[in-house]
Amino acid sequence: MSAEGSAVTTARGIFVEGLEKRFGTRTAVEHLSFEVKPGEVFGLLGPNGAGKTTTVRMLTGLLRPSAGRAVVCGEELPALDNGVRLRKKVGLLTEHPGVYDRLTARENLLFFIRLHELDERTAWALAEGYLERFGLSGREDEPVGGYSKGMRQKLAIVRTLVHEPKVIFLDEPTSGLDPQSARTVRDAVAELANQGRTLVLCSHNLAEVERLCTRVAVVKNRLRAVSSLSDLRREGLALEVVLETDEGRFGAAVRALPFSPSVVADGNRLTVTLSTEAQAPDVVEALVKAGARIHAVMRAARPLEEAYLELVREEDES
Amino acid sequence: MSEGFSMRRVRALLGKDLLDLRKNRGLVYSMLALPSVIVVVPIGIIMTYVKQPENPSLRMMALYYDFTVNADNAARFLVDKVLADWFVLYLVMPVFVPILISSHAVAGEKEKRTLEPLLAAPITPLELVIGKSLASLIPALAVCLVAFIGLCIGVDVVAWPLAKQLVLPNGMWLFGVFVISPLFAFFGNGVAVLISANVGDSRMAQQLAGLVVMPLVGLAAGQFGGFLHSGTGYYALIGLAVLAMDLAILFIAPRLFDRERLMTRWG
Repeated sequence: MSAEGSAVTTARGIFVEGLEKRFGTRTAVEHLSFEVKPGEVFGLLGPNGAGKTTTVRMLTGLLRPSAGRAVVCGEELPALDNGVRLRKKVGLLTEHPGVYDRLTARENLLFFIRLHELDERTAWALAEGYLERFGLSGREDEPVGGYSKGMRQKLAIVRTLVHEPKVIFLDEPTSGLDPQSARTVRDAVAELANQGRTLVLCSHNLAEVERLCTRVAVVKNRLRAVSSLSDLRREGLALEVVLETDEGRFGAAVRALPFSPSVVADGNRLTVTLSTEAQAPDVVEALVKAGARIHAVMRAARPLEEAYLELVREEDES
Repeated sequence: MSEGFSMRRVRALLGKDLLDLRKNRGLVYSMLALPSVIVVVPIGIIMTYVKQPENPSLRMMALYYDFTVNADNAARFLVDKVLADWFVLYLVMPVFVPILISSHAVAGEKEKRTLEPLLAAPITPLELVIGKSLASLIPALAVCLVAFIGLCIGVDVVAWPLAKQLVLPNGMWLFGVFVISPLFAFFGNGVAVLISANVGDSRMAQQLAGLVVMPLVGLAAGQFGGFLHSGTGYYALIGLAVLAMDLAILFIAPRLFDRERLMTRWG
């Protein structure tokens, strides 16, 4: 990272160096280093218990790092001021919406507007815009206890954005949302990135990560990889086969090969992950023997899921 | 540059918690149940004394507590005795009502999973403790004051035929309600906040914090049994002991109410 790049990143993005968190004798996160540039949508991937939430909690000032340092939005961590200035600049969408059921959406949002010491009229005007966008307009004076899971999630997203944070951490933002609402949230994320906000997305939904993120970090207590999505997928070898018909037996025939390749079927397209190029003719032969009519065979980037699972498995096996 | 203490953030939290309390009917009803008993029972007891002031049993009871009592004044003596002794049970109220509210307000944030978004907002642990404590102390003291006014009116109405003067408020009760009672409320709230910060749910917090009323019940038993003699000096001594415990809570609370501690125990 160049000195100039560091300055820009530390002012509006995230810079993490050797970050660690220990709870007693258990190490939750070990020597984590990465950088998120301003305006970037960065994915934080990892299995359950991998330390993603702990990392986000450290970067939002909720937990003190045991070692290492980080700079978020120009605020050095560990923070000396209780992290108040940091939390004014960052937004955190937690895994659970965490809204007050007895209060209305308006009361929920006004509470956070007041905690952020914002001008109520201006902040409420912004909140109204988001409520409109997320389809909650006209329901703001109803108790949140009567909201559906998706509505609560959308309200939590509005709460995360209402103080116009420069850096936004989103933990499973589309969890519980119907496809249309999920699309609205994804569009909002893309728009926020276009406005120059820095976004960190924790998600198990790899398809969503592929759609939104430019780079990802794969974490399992320590950093397994930090890379652009295209680089991550290129690191493996895959074959895309276009068939005349869409039949499950063709995928099964490929999976039955002695080297047990991973196969992802999408209609009449099969993406087969290989270990070596020499396995490609065996795949074609297996398909032909199973009666498939092949229209095209292309070298392809392997699916993100494959790259992710390989990274997460790698060290366990070693 | 560090961000200092903000009264605006404390007011925001206080406003939210009071609004939430107002909308929590179950909690409001349970808050009002204890004061109703504390007010009604002594009025009922005094009413029985006033109805039969010449009853020989009253004379026997008065002599049990004080053998120098003039037999003609037994009923009046017992009215004063009940009011002096009852104050220790009145003190259960400023301890218990904040426990009810605080355990909901603090452990309830964990149960409803609202704690993490709250801690992720720019509020300091000190502001959190003060906001939560005020949200419990203000309604608790208001309830105690209203109960006291109700008790004064009720007692004076039923005791008038016997006493021919106002028996409440008297010096001991005024001192108790305005000096001792806030000390007890602070104590009850402090215990509830500290316990809530260290246990998983509001019910357990309530049960554990509720144990602090046990010494008061013990004192009441001693007074009604005639072993302890209540009065302004006696309650002032109890108040001093509670003041010492309040100071200990003030010393301990900021150390225990730490953001990381809350996150790791509750998050």
